Amino acid sequence: MEKVEHVLIVDDDRDIRELIGAYLQKNGARVSKASGGREMWAVLATEPPDIIVLDITLPGENGLALCRELRAGQWRTIPILMLTALSDETDRVVGLEVGADDYLIKPFAVRELLARIRAILRRARMVPQGFERSEAPPFLLFGDWKLDTVGRHLIDCEGTMVALSGAEYRLLRVFVDHPQRVLTRDQLLSLTQGRQTEPFDRSIDLLVSRLRQRLNDGAKDPRYIKTLRNEGYVFSAAVTPQEGNQ
Amino acid sequence: MNVSSLLKGPRTLFLRVTLIFFAGLVAAQYLTFYATMAERNEVQTTFMISNIQREIASAVALLDRVPAAERPDWVPRLARRNYGFILGPGVGGEAPDQKLSAEIGTAIEQSIGQRYPVVVNAVPGAGEHLQAHLKLSDGAPLTIDIRPVAKMPLSTWLPLVLGVQFVLLAVCSWIAVSLATRPLNRLAHAAETLGPDMTATRLRETGPTEVVRAAKAFNAMQDRIRMYMKERIQILAAISHDLQTPITRMRIRTDLLDDEAERARFQQDLLEMESLVREGVAYGRTLHGTAEAPRRIDPDALLESLVSDYEDAGANVMLSGGIGVPIVTRPVALRRILANLLDNAIKFSGAGELAAEVSEDRRIAISVIDRGPGIPADQLDAVFQPFFRLDTSREHGRSGNGLGLAIAKQLALAMNATLELKNREGGGLEARLVLEKPF
Repeated sequence: MEKVEHVLIVDDDRDIRELIGAYLQKNGARVSKASGGREMWAVLATEPPDIIVLDITLPGENGLALCRELRAGQWRTIPILMLTALSDETDRVVGLEVGADDYLIKPFAVRELLARIRAILRRARMVPQGFERSEAPPFLLFGDWKLDTVGRHLIDCEGTMVALSGAEYRLLRVFVDHPQRVLTRDQLLSLTQGRQTEPFDRSIDLLVSRLRQRLNDGAKDPRYIKTLRNEGYVFSAAVTPQEGNQ
Repeated sequence: MNVSSLLKGPRTLFLRVTLIFFAGLVAAQYLTFYATMAERNEVQTTFMISNIQREIASAVALLDRVPAAERPDWVPRLARRNYGFILGPGVGGEAPDQKLSAEIGTAIEQSIGQRYPVVVNAVPGAGEHLQAHLKLSDGAPLTIDIRPVAKMPLSTWLPLVLGVQFVLLAVCSWIAVSLATRPLNRLAHAAETLGPDMTATRLRETGPTEVVRAAKAFNAMQDRIRMYMKERIQILAAISHDLQTPITRMRIRTDLLDDEAERARFQQDLLEMESLVREGVAYGRTLHGTAEAPRRIDPDALLESLVSDYEDAGANVMLSGGIGVPIVTRPVALRRILANLLDNAIKFSGAGELAAEVSEDRRIAISVIDRGPGIPADQLDAVFQPFFRLDTSREHGRSGNGLGLAIAKQLALAMNATLELKNREGGGLEARLVLEKPF
């Protein structure tokens, strides 16, 4: 990690807490631990962390409820990584809905956890100073498209779902989160490289052309992703967030 | 319909019972009708004979008294529907051989035979015809010409009544039998719809007592099956779920091990346990019913993104063909099925290929094909059972937990698709998923 980050681990299993803590400390992080909501609020009150690693299944108030409360209160800018013990679509979807930045399914490799924490913190630093970090809306509208940030797919103007691969989604998400801004290939690479276990061999250029194909966006006169010679790419469409299910 | 099936009779219980019912009723009706007619004829004959006896005696006595010259005037007046008088010797012949003629002959002899010697004979020709010959007291010959009518003519409305009765019988048997067989059909339908998602239709517990009893028993059986299934899945899901925390701990501990080789071995074992747990939980959830709602999707984007995900993870997966039109389906389930099939292809052959096509009858077929070892023909169905493992996969130490195909099959069933395996020409396996009319 670039500088000493403060990570708060909230998990009811003491061994998991200690083990993750030891590993993160070995890799240069400062670690606080909490076994549940009460201890979590106590840590937040004394020294707010840079990121919270939050288990979904906690005794008493569960992780989803805590995440919702965090997002509604004064700690809404702190990134949250959810840990879910259920390998099921719905739980992770709910986790993202209540405002978690990412999720990790148990059991996971600690190196993967570290990579995710780093990716989230990198993204958080990209947010311009003075901008209130808002809760991710379920839908982002641009041009003819609607991006479902929970289901991680596109919806066209006729309501047809267009699936995206994991890498395509991450790249598009970086674009729509930073519209009208020049993004260099290096920036795009570091922002999209979330998982260490998923080697990202393809160049950003190839991924952009795949994404353009999904968006029916021509390379010659692109509507959405414009190429800036020797600089990188710009997402040129206006993005409007949309709440609710429609 | 060929001869043997004609001999066996109709296939449906409905037709069989209707036929038996109807045939029985018609036979009974015919017997009644026959008996009534026989009785009627007998009464009629007796009545006719006694009439003839009385009338002929008085007619002969009258003709005997009347002077011979006046007799011709009287003859037409004394004639009746079935007999008349001839002043003359008449026609000779054999003794009457017909039963009715013989009875009439005897009756005439009894009534006038004491005063006049009578000879009765049959007249040859069509129909029953007989003559009685006698001599009046003045010696003049007299012949009684009798054409007995055995049966009274039937009324014209009688066939109509019979026809109406037949129709009535047919309708009644049809109603009665359909009343009896309808609950059976309902039962069969309910049993058929008791699918893997355990959402069977309950039978209505109304109607005749026997039907109510059967319906109650069937519903209770459904409940029991559902409970057993649920219990089984809950146990599997609970074990799988509870294993996640200890596996997570072990996983982190091994990550912290210093011994590189030992760590790799531990992690390999843990990966196997992990995938078993994940599949166990997933299998439990597929059987719990699919909550996912069907929606319109671009199938090609789904296939392409799936292939991209595999490529990004370093797997060798190809895509050929395409569908080209939006379809309505359950995207998460579809993706899961294809991913499970691709995982198998990669596990056994190191590579997999997705092939998509639209057939003429609006079916969509998506095949996952590989050039792996294939599956022995007699085990192509068995591999869909949970935890079934081929002997060959055991021998080669290939890891697999035997739930991937079971999950794929369950999901296919739940989304009204068919999933079949077959060995390819030239080696390898084809898993073919066919979606019926999804657009």
